Amino acid sequence: MQLSRSSQPGSGRSRAVWRVVLATMWAHGTGRFALVVMALWTAIALVSLFWTPVPLGLTDGFNVWAAPSLTHIMGTDGTGADMFSWLIAGMGTDLFIVIVTVALTAALGLLVESLMVSRSVALSQGSIVTVDALISIPTMLIALMLAAPLGATVIGVILACGIGYGLNLARVARPAALLAARSAYVESARANGASAVRVFFTHIVPNCMPVMIVQLSLSAGTALLAEAGLTYLGIGVPSGTPSLGRSIATSVSLITVHPTTVIWPGLTATILVVALNLLGDNLRDAIDPLRNPALRQLGHAVQSSDAAPEREA
Amino acid sequence: MTDSNGAHEPHGATGHEAPTSTNNPNATTNGTSNMPGATGSLDPTLQAASTAATRNKPPVWAIILAVLAVLAVIIGSIAAIRTLTSSNDTPAGHKESNVTIGVKLAPTNLDIRNTAGSALDQVLIDNVYEGLLDRGADNGVQPGIAQSWDVSDDGKTYTFELADGMTFSNGDTLDSQDVVWSLNEAIKQGYHGSEFLSAVDTVTASDSSTVIITLKEPDADLLWNLTGRAGLIYDEEAEGSYDPKTQALGSGPFTVEQFTADDSITLKRNDEYWGKNKAKTEQITIKYFTDNNAAVNALKSGDVALLAPIMPNVMQTFADDPEHYDVQPGDDTDKYTLAMNNGDGHATNDKRVRQAIRYAIDHDELIAARGGVDLPLYGPIPELDPGYEDLSALYPHDVAKAKQLLAEAGYNEQHPLKLTLTYPNIYGSEIGDMLRSQLAQAGIDLDVQEVEFSTWLEQVYTNKQYDLSLVDHNESHDIGSWANPDYYFNYNNKQVQQLINDARTAPTEQESEAKLKQAARIISEDAAADWLFNYRVTTAMAKGVEGFPVNMNQSFMPLVDFTYTKQ
Repeated sequence: MQLSRSSQPGSGRSRAVWRVVLATMWAHGTGRFALVVMALWTAIALVSLFWTPVPLGLTDGFNVWAAPSLTHIMGTDGTGADMFSWLIAGMGTDLFIVIVTVALTAALGLLVESLMVSRSVALSQGSIVTVDALISIPTMLIALMLAAPLGATVIGVILACGIGYGLNLARVARPAALLAARSAYVESARANGASAVRVFFTHIVPNCMPVMIVQLSLSAGTALLAEAGLTYLGIGVPSGTPSLGRSIATSVSLITVHPTTVIWPGLTATILVVALNLLGDNLRDAIDPLRNPALRQLGHAVQSSDAAPEREA
Repeated sequence: MTDSNGAHEPHGATGHEAPTSTNNPNATTNGTSNMPGATGSLDPTLQAASTAATRNKPPVWAIILAVLAVLAVIIGSIAAIRTLTSSNDTPAGHKESNVTIGVKLAPTNLDIRNTAGSALDQVLIDNVYEGLLDRGADNGVQPGIAQSWDVSDDGKTYTFELADGMTFSNGDTLDSQDVVWSLNEAIKQGYHGSEFLSAVDTVTASDSSTVIITLKEPDADLLWNLTGRAGLIYDEEAEGSYDPKTQALGSGPFTVEQFTADDSITLKRNDEYWGKNKAKTEQITIKYFTDNNAAVNALKSGDVALLAPIMPNVMQTFADDPEHYDVQPGDDTDKYTLAMNNGDGHATNDKRVRQAIRYAIDHDELIAARGGVDLPLYGPIPELDPGYEDLSALYPHDVAKAKQLLAEAGYNEQHPLKLTLTYPNIYGSEIGDMLRSQLAQAGIDLDVQEVEFSTWLEQVYTNKQYDLSLVDHNESHDIGSWANPDYYFNYNNKQVQQLINDARTAPTEQESEAKLKQAARIISEDAAADWLFNYRVTTAMAKGVEGFPVNMNQSFMPLVDFTYTKQ
């Protein structure tokens, strides 16, 4: 609590909040697991950008499907390329896909959300009907439609997931947003001349946060699985780009002959998806003052130190 | 798709249950006391809620346990599958009267006259239908319905003497009338294969056992072509009495008992077969497997007696078990052709670029990666076809030479050569990955596009929109496509066209072969394409299989001598 006492409004305060949030997450077993996995994933992704144990482009036709050894700790694939190098490079690609997909989902979700809670009946009702109609289109179908002009690209995967999950996010967060939009404090803010944009970002978005965080973490996990599925179908990550989906796809067709090769990329994908989902759950719990007493305590301290510092002594 | 799901399935099934079912009181109390600010809550109900929330969170070790459980389930189930599928022992016995064999490409219907695809040739020719002439295991011409033949000195008149006492499977007699009608009908209706009869002027019968074919110009390939679809003999009297899409009526040693599109065909021995060599197995079911894993499991469990073909990457399973299986590569005429667009406006229009690509490719590595059974091939004619010559000395693997040629053509590290390889996804991603890796060593930046076969047909074959393309040209005697400037190769060489035409009309086989040899050498020297290898179809057979054709069995699979004795 020492920290929060000395903290001031602004960046210092938000830093303190994040410190408390992280500490709360770290205190939970699942939160700690998620944080450790995310940190490892980021580190591996950064390293794989500059270095892999064996260069990615190197194939060796005389050494295909080799058993694990010191040079190839997970063995080699059907072209003699190093499975481990492709796996960690693939984790990098997937981290990029997940981050950009989540950003796109959040941006699109908020944009549609703002239309849905608009005061104009035509706009809000129209957007709800449109979103309801669009939600019925599966992500897979969007990906197939995008694959026709774009071919197999990373952008296609991100767009397909971002559009599909963004619309879902807006629909799921709508009740929370609507509750805030029709609340007395928003009425009061409007009456005091606050602009619609200001009301949206200071009142409505924070109220949707818990729902959004869970939904976004689900999107992150699903985006990773979608990448694997789309790549397996040949409309995801293109040939020559490492990804978890590619690592799985190259080994899964030979699962009866080389069963061990599919375990590593499969297990990696499983752990990452579990970690992403747990991260969302824990972040929601940690960031919500109603569920996190530490955060509430921080709020009190800050409030008292802001409003009446003389009482502290 | 089911395979892909299998990789993910366990995390949903077990990953979530394990942590909640194991609850360590010590861990949870520790968690509570360590909570920063937990004691600072002013509201007792919230305090209680937060404690409850903490208790529900599983500790780290529980998650590790869950992950280990998932791993155990995966490994356990694979081990279980392996033991279940491999321990299927049946008592030794006599020759089976009803055998099932596994094949890959299924025909969509049985109408061999109007449907393309080698799947029909494979199952019907020599089993149900017979040709005027027969094809040997060495791809040579043998007597069939015609027992002997005579060619006039100018190469324009062929006289065939037919065998005696021939009948169709319905009992109708087969004589020269049926032969004349079948060949004339093929030309008149433009049936598949009739393009090989383009030189034919008239087909007539001088008596019930003699057929005379006269040609407009000599055709050195005529006899060989009569062993295929062009020479099949049908029953004139029965025409219209059966549905050719689901039934087949020929003079061969088998009849079609049952046909299920895209699944299986059952052949039954024709006990009234006119020939001396009657079928040795009473009933043979040909089952089609598109999925490699399903095919491998079928052979392991004994559902099929053999697999033709077995894919090179799964072959090892059976090659490692010589006590129970026989794995044999067969010779064939499949040419894995890396076509380079010779047309204007493409980088590969420059001969130096094409030569550089040929020097940059390490064919031995490609073959080794596929299990080492395929044969190197450096020209357009494979060993089984007339005009073959070993051209391996023309473009040996030489990366330095490739770099030098590229530099001469104006490419360097600042301006690397960028090419796109478009190929059908049925050939797998490995071959594209390896070509990209090999060409990268010579400084060529290869973009690999795997597409659906229909896309390849439209984009590459029809519209000729490609730099490099890869496809398996499996037809025998198909060097003629290099003499066709409109073919997707965009290869236009007047000398080659002249030579191939001369070879066709040459009066003797020797002269014809010499011309083909010359043409093949020019095409290869021109680096009109690169021939990656001569694919050899590998057949995996359970011990006890005898008389199964290993060579060329993807387009020609006579089953008359095939038997299977369960070991």
